[in-house]
Amino acid sequence: MSFSLINAIRKLNISTVSQIRLISSGSTDVSNINSHSNSDLNVTQKEWKFPPQFTKPREVWIENLDSIDEKKLGLFELHPLVYAVLPRIDIIHRNVIWQRKFRWVSWAHTKTRAEVHGGGRKPWPQKGLGRARHGSIRSPLWRGGGIVHGPRSGKTHFFMLPFHLRIHGLTSTLSAKFAQDDLHVVRNLELPTEDPEYLAELIEKRNWGPSVLIVDDNDYAPRNITVATENLPHVNIIPFYGLNVYSMLKHDTLIITQTAAERIEEKILQHLHSNTMPQQAKFKLNQV
Amino acid sequence: MATVWRSQCAFARFFVGKTGRILNNAADLGIKLTPESISVSTTRSYSNYSHSPLVKKIKEQYDFEIEKNPPEWAYVERLLPLEIIPPVQPKETYPSGWIPPKEEAKDLPYFMPRTKNHELPIYLVITHKGQRKVSMLRKIEGDIWLMNDLIKEHLQKNFNRYIETRVHELGRFIEVKGDFVNSLREWAYSKGF
Repeated sequence: MSFSLINAIRKLNISTVSQIRLISSGSTDVSNINSHSNSDLNVTQKEWKFPPQFTKPREVWIENLDSIDEKKLGLFELHPLVYAVLPRIDIIHRNVIWQRKFRWVSWAHTKTRAEVHGGGRKPWPQKGLGRARHGSIRSPLWRGGGIVHGPRSGKTHFFMLPFHLRIHGLTSTLSAKFAQDDLHVVRNLELPTEDPEYLAELIEKRNWGPSVLIVDDNDYAPRNITVATENLPHVNIIPFYGLNVYSMLKHDTLIITQTAAERIEEKILQHLHSNTMPQQAKFKLNQV
Repeated sequence: MATVWRSQCAFARFFVGKTGRILNNAADLGIKLTPESISVSTTRSYSNYSHSPLVKKIKEQYDFEIEKNPPEWAYVERLLPLEIIPPVQPKETYPSGWIPPKEEAKDLPYFMPRTKNHELPIYLVITHKGQRKVSMLRKIEGDIWLMNDLIKEHLQKNFNRYIETRVHELGRFIEVKGDFVNSLREWAYSKGF
């Protein structure tokens, strides 16, 4: 969580700076927006499958990637049940712990007194020498002896977090990212060049965090962005079904394409409005 | 020997009963039966079960054709599990006593949505082996403190005594000390939740 806290503080500073900038050059900004709205700013009214009841849907700008300067291409609505819940930091934390643990197999290993080499012979007679009685030089009391209750290798830490905690973790993290202005929606991932410097400059110019996670609705990203991000270790692309709490916290900024945002919303809302008894059932090994 | 058997009294093994017809179990007839002596004659030696001529691939017995979206598909769909819990069908009365939420509840400064099963999220939490009963109102949106005040007022009026509540602002729930679930449900229905 320290990541996001630092991030929030950093964003606060940046936002104050940008406000000052806005005030100083307010008129030009407004005219820019106006000129865009005249040309092709589209505001789409969404057909809700599960209409938001009390909390209003969150509005978000659709941005572009095909120029370094930010252009607002349209206005988009996000469902409050997915993108505007109150972030439960404890649930986010449990998700991170789960994601670190379920794939962790500990290979730490120690030998018991039976496995350490030697030690079969009684080192000295039981009586008559005035020394302590010992039966083996590999007893745990001895230096170089076996270890009692030490780690044995191949210990898995696998467990499954309950289904709704996983769902709530996703919505919490998405909402926290959105509230901290770290979630941006773009129309598509088309870049004009495959030069990584272009992407680095774009990220720098728009005050996106050093590390950026790009989420698409497709396994196949356009060629230019895959080539550009190949040698940028802090800019990564994942499909929408790979979205997870750990990666979202690992990266400062989340860039979601419009279709991916819709697909994420649709999938989570479906889980929130359906019978989830099969998913909540005890995890079986053969279900992988 | 075998040829004599087969030519002269080929059906002798049917006279001795079932044992004579079982493969490799015809010792009482003084001869070892091979697969070909029973069925067709081939010269292969069978080391594998599936190579035996007795084991045949069963032909597809039924002809069928594939059709997309026939009118009968509606009857199959009826049996499939529901993708989502269906929304409420508005009716005049509900025989089960279930009360639908009202639209005007959305104009209040506080709100409590129904659960995905269209029930009120008001529960009785029993802990300490039944010694502690706490009524819990969950999923509250909007001004939770105002809602808390109104609940307290309502319970004070109904039970003529002070009733303790606890507000969890981040978890969006209110806990009321004691079993007041029915009273709280009445209050929620009166507000239109």
